[in-house]
Amino acid sequence: MAEQEELVNLTIDGQPVSVPKGSVIWAAAQKLGIEVPIYCYHPKMEPLGACRMCFVAVEKMPKLATACTTVVSEGMVVRTDTPAVKKARQGTLEFLLINHPLDCPICDKGGECDLQDFTLRHGPSASRFDLSKRHFQKPIPVSENILLDRERCIACQRCMRFCQTVAMEDGLVMEERGFRTEIGVNPDAPFDSNFSGNVVEMCPVGALTAKSYRFVTRPWELQKTGSVCGNCAVGCNVRVDVRVDKVLRQYSRTNDSIDDGWLCDRGRWDLDAINSLERLRTPLIRKGGKNSELQPASWDEALTLIATRLREITERDGGRAVGGIGSTHTTNEEAYLFQKLFRAGLGSNNVDHRHGRFPATERNGLPWVWSDSIAGLEKASHIVILGADPYHRQPIVDLRIRKAIRGGAQVYVVTPEPNRLDRLATGVIRYQAGQTGTIARALLNVVTAENLTRGDFAEKRSASLDARRTTVAQDTPERAAEIAGVDAAALRELAREIAGAKGAVILYDEMATLEPTGANLAADLLDLALLTDNFGRPGAGVGPLLEDNNSLGARDMGLLPDTLPGYRPVSDAAARAALGGVWNATLPSEPGKSYDEMLSGGVKALYVMGANPASDATPQQLAALNALELLVVQDMFLTETAKRATVVLPAVAYTEKDGTFTNTERCVQVVRRAMQPLPGAKADWEILRGVARALGLHWAYLSPAEILKEIGRATPIYAGVTRRALGDSGARWPLVPGERAADGRPALQSSPYLTWQMVEQGVARGIAAGELVAGRGRGE
Amino acid sequence: MADTLDTVAAQPALPLGPRPQIVMKNIFAPGIDQIETYRKHGGYQALEKALRQFQPDELLEEVKKSGLRGRGGAGFATGMKWSFLPPQSPKPRYLCVNCDESEPGTFKDRMLMELNPHQLVEGAIITSYATKVHHAFIYVRGELALAGRQVERAIREAYEAGFIGKNILGSGFDLEMTISRGAGAYICGEESALLESLEGKRGYPRLKPPFPAVVGLYGGPTVINNCETVATVPAIVTLGADTYGAYGTEKSKGTRIFCLSGHVQRPGNYELPLGTPMRTLIEDYGGGMRNGKKLKAIIPGGSSTFILGPDKLDTPLDFESVAAAGSMLGSGGVIVLDEDTCIVGAVLRMTEFYRDESCGKCTPCREGTFWLVQLLERLEHGDGKASDIDLLNDICDNISGKSFCPLGDAATSSITSSIKLFRDEYLHHVYAHGCLVGPHAKPAPATARETNQSRQSTPVGAR
Repeated sequence: MAEQEELVNLTIDGQPVSVPKGSVIWAAAQKLGIEVPIYCYHPKMEPLGACRMCFVAVEKMPKLATACTTVVSEGMVVRTDTPAVKKARQGTLEFLLINHPLDCPICDKGGECDLQDFTLRHGPSASRFDLSKRHFQKPIPVSENILLDRERCIACQRCMRFCQTVAMEDGLVMEERGFRTEIGVNPDAPFDSNFSGNVVEMCPVGALTAKSYRFVTRPWELQKTGSVCGNCAVGCNVRVDVRVDKVLRQYSRTNDSIDDGWLCDRGRWDLDAINSLERLRTPLIRKGGKNSELQPASWDEALTLIATRLREITERDGGRAVGGIGSTHTTNEEAYLFQKLFRAGLGSNNVDHRHGRFPATERNGLPWVWSDSIAGLEKASHIVILGADPYHRQPIVDLRIRKAIRGGAQVYVVTPEPNRLDRLATGVIRYQAGQTGTIARALLNVVTAENLTRGDFAEKRSASLDARRTTVAQDTPERAAEIAGVDAAALRELAREIAGAKGAVILYDEMATLEPTGANLAADLLDLALLTDNFGRPGAGVGPLLEDNNSLGARDMGLLPDTLPGYRPVSDAAARAALGGVWNATLPSEPGKSYDEMLSGGVKALYVMGANPASDATPQQLAALNALELLVVQDMFLTETAKRATVVLPAVAYTEKDGTFTNTERCVQVVRRAMQPLPGAKADWEILRGVARALGLHWAYLSPAEILKEIGRATPIYAGVTRRALGDSGARWPLVPGERAADGRPALQSSPYLTWQMVEQGVARGIAAGELVAGRGRGE
Repeated sequence: MADTLDTVAAQPALPLGPRPQIVMKNIFAPGIDQIETYRKHGGYQALEKALRQFQPDELLEEVKKSGLRGRGGAGFATGMKWSFLPPQSPKPRYLCVNCDESEPGTFKDRMLMELNPHQLVEGAIITSYATKVHHAFIYVRGELALAGRQVERAIREAYEAGFIGKNILGSGFDLEMTISRGAGAYICGEESALLESLEGKRGYPRLKPPFPAVVGLYGGPTVINNCETVATVPAIVTLGADTYGAYGTEKSKGTRIFCLSGHVQRPGNYELPLGTPMRTLIEDYGGGMRNGKKLKAIIPGGSSTFILGPDKLDTPLDFESVAAAGSMLGSGGVIVLDEDTCIVGAVLRMTEFYRDESCGKCTPCREGTFWLVQLLERLEHGDGKASDIDLLNDICDNISGKSFCPLGDAATSSITSSIKLFRDEYLHHVYAHGCLVGPHAKPAPATARETNQSRQSTPVGAR
């Protein structure tokens, strides 16, 4: 699939190594496991060559070379162990240390400090500097979250270069020059970036420290677990750093295809909920009926109560009388068990989640997902942000868009509100809030009315094109200007740009589909992309930016009243039969009640897992909630909804359990337990297993891994999924089992992007993607 | 040959015969900074000749043939530099004239800009034509306010006269020219830092490769030449490569302006053929040492070059001979020190300059110069240790060749060369707790005096 990379052969300290053409010596040494110390260099940024730490000797070069700036060449002979190299490294370390305070015992970086480590391994054992060091006032704040200790700074410029070249925002700058050089903030441009925490992680010394982490631990006390961030739909790969029972920070665990090695501040530091003292530590029940107080109870008591009442109600009123509201935060395994509990256990399709229903799904049964990927953005020539705010809602997507801009992509920001990307955008279009659908239709109008359609889909599906031409015939940009106060000419120009683009990616926020005009937004934009041939390859596509860490997984797992796992309609008898076969159960065929219907008195018993519908319910809905015969709430906190519950079950955070999340670009990733669960609380899957058992179901799952295996059999787009096969970096659905690795490890064939044929056949067959992908042949 | 070359009338009469005036020709003519006067003295005729009689490539060949080498310090062959520009490039190519003259001991470009700015502008136009550049920048050191104003006015006048702009003199050649003033950093004289500064960024040197000829200003192929180099180009066009190249030595052709400073009778700028002995410059043109003092040391090419002793006085001032003598011709700033100069004090002063002007990008230069100054300070004030001298040498070794740009190397030249030549004087500071010569001189204690006379590098007292 990828072009064959040209390799260059060289030797380092006598060991042969081959690396891609254009690599620097440092990367080649890294590959061999030979440590070449670096400070200024960062693999995700351009070489700088400033710190003069990475000296190596290269045959036929008169001077020592810096390994981070010297590009490898065929037959190069590199040595990292000559006396000259050692002396040069010692010299640089001695220089760095003459002005660096030896306050390691009270420095937060001590124990994971590159200056400490490299001095130990490459440095002189004593300094010849017997004069006075520079001294500065101890930490000064550079932002709300970050402190700067100027004495410790070694002026490697990593932080400054991150701000300027990666985040492309104001922020840290170099002040003064020479030995007076220090890091600072421009007085007119505060360092208020959403990506600021990266500079703390990159800082090779203890110069930049996070306020939340200062003096709370030493690095060697931390237990470090590779996992996935649960703070938004991007699913950045993190290392969860836990001290005893507290998560102290999340560090990046680079996954080039998702986070590119960066984290946002929310993911890095917004961990208060996990560490909160307010968390529930025991089940609560109302023993004396509706108006009694919630009182602590044992798990057995609570589960028995739930099972008894659920049985009572279903035996009396049937499965239709009970319903469940699931979560966009829990794991795929938990979402899957939740809907299975209702469908197979209680004979009810009444399962949904907040924002669960999308009009587009009704129209054509499509899972309206991002057809391309985050990494694909780099290949796009045009990126259109429509009614979305990735900087605040999916920050690392915003950062990738910035990378795409550096690569030459043109970005159009079409939003009601000012956006952080405005400054870097080729075009900025404003419109009245709530009119995103109007904008989408106007774009489609221009494309069809001006005959700008092109490509395979437009040609082969001309009926679809004709239909579109008719439906949007009236929705001209000029009309949009009247309705939405938008610049018609700019909108027309944008439509033409999209139609002429080498590859355009159109991104909208899932919330925009809930606007009054948004009913057909997803479908309209999908058609816009299909008809302009911006689909089916990296750097071209369309899709929503989702809200929560497992928004997509919740839908994939069938946390929807009308859809089985994998987007198969409940009305599809074959699908029901197939799934019933896996579950050994007969499934109800009638679509269930939606989120709003269940909240408005549609059910007598409501089971809420990881959601808080009462927080934004209408007075009528609140009344209906209060009137429920049984309200079970499973959550980490005593939420507004939990306060109304008959039974409250304490759940744990994502750092305390195993599972998988599916991010906004269809990537299924493994979440690992990073700490002991809070005593008294249980993981949602365990709780659900307990409820099922109390109901008399034979659920024998021992671990989320077992549940995931079942998902792999029950959900076509997740075919063959297992934790081992997903590995460290996950895979994008639709998935198909791939050929096993040489060591017997199962493999998955991932789908970096969706094609229109996949989408179309998916509609016809309810996304029997397994067959689909197999059909397009291996190795594509 | 004397027919084509004028002697300078306005310069104070020297007790010497005529000497070639090529770059400094007419420089003291009253009003030469005005375009009319400049044209009356034959100004812009070289430009006309270049545009009418030469194709750009022919002009490049002519400059190659003249043997002109860069006058900024490194002495790279100018025509060769021009030929490195790739013939095809998607981005526009630029000329940057480096007028950021800030090397201590050098003051020739300042004179050229202040007195005869049109010659520089004319040279820049011809250079642009030869290198097929359509936008030239003149980067003037910020502190040189008058020079900046003069060049700015000269550019304006040249625009008005049609020497810059569209279709210059009907040749079809278009050129824009912009003056840019620096903000006072020595590093911006380094060509890649100059480009950063021109782009409005902080003056940090860039990683090379890619070299500016390939990726330079705003990513376009860029030729960067020193002010004097560019100001020499019109003369080469007027005189022809052969006539110009007849001056100087075989490898260092032509004339160059030497900036004579220090303890001489007549410091100043002297244009002399390359290869003129240092003694001629100092004794004949400079009038010899001031107040009958003896010569102690010569810094032949600006403060970045190695110090030479009086025994090198007969070294011819050309690139090769000065290199053979153990230093560099550099920027042509010849600094002469007399016997009353404390060498440690002088070296300290120069090192302070490099500490203050280090851009701070790379560790050795940023931290090393800080350390060197502290050590030299304590030596100069009589508080040093004998081991400091070897430490100085070793720090210099850790800076030299290890820093990002040549500035780090430059900071060490005076230290290593002075220790080599004047170790005894350094030791005197250690043992006498004061200077050997000058106002703070202190006599050496008896033991150290013996040690000095025995010329051992490690004195007995140090053990």
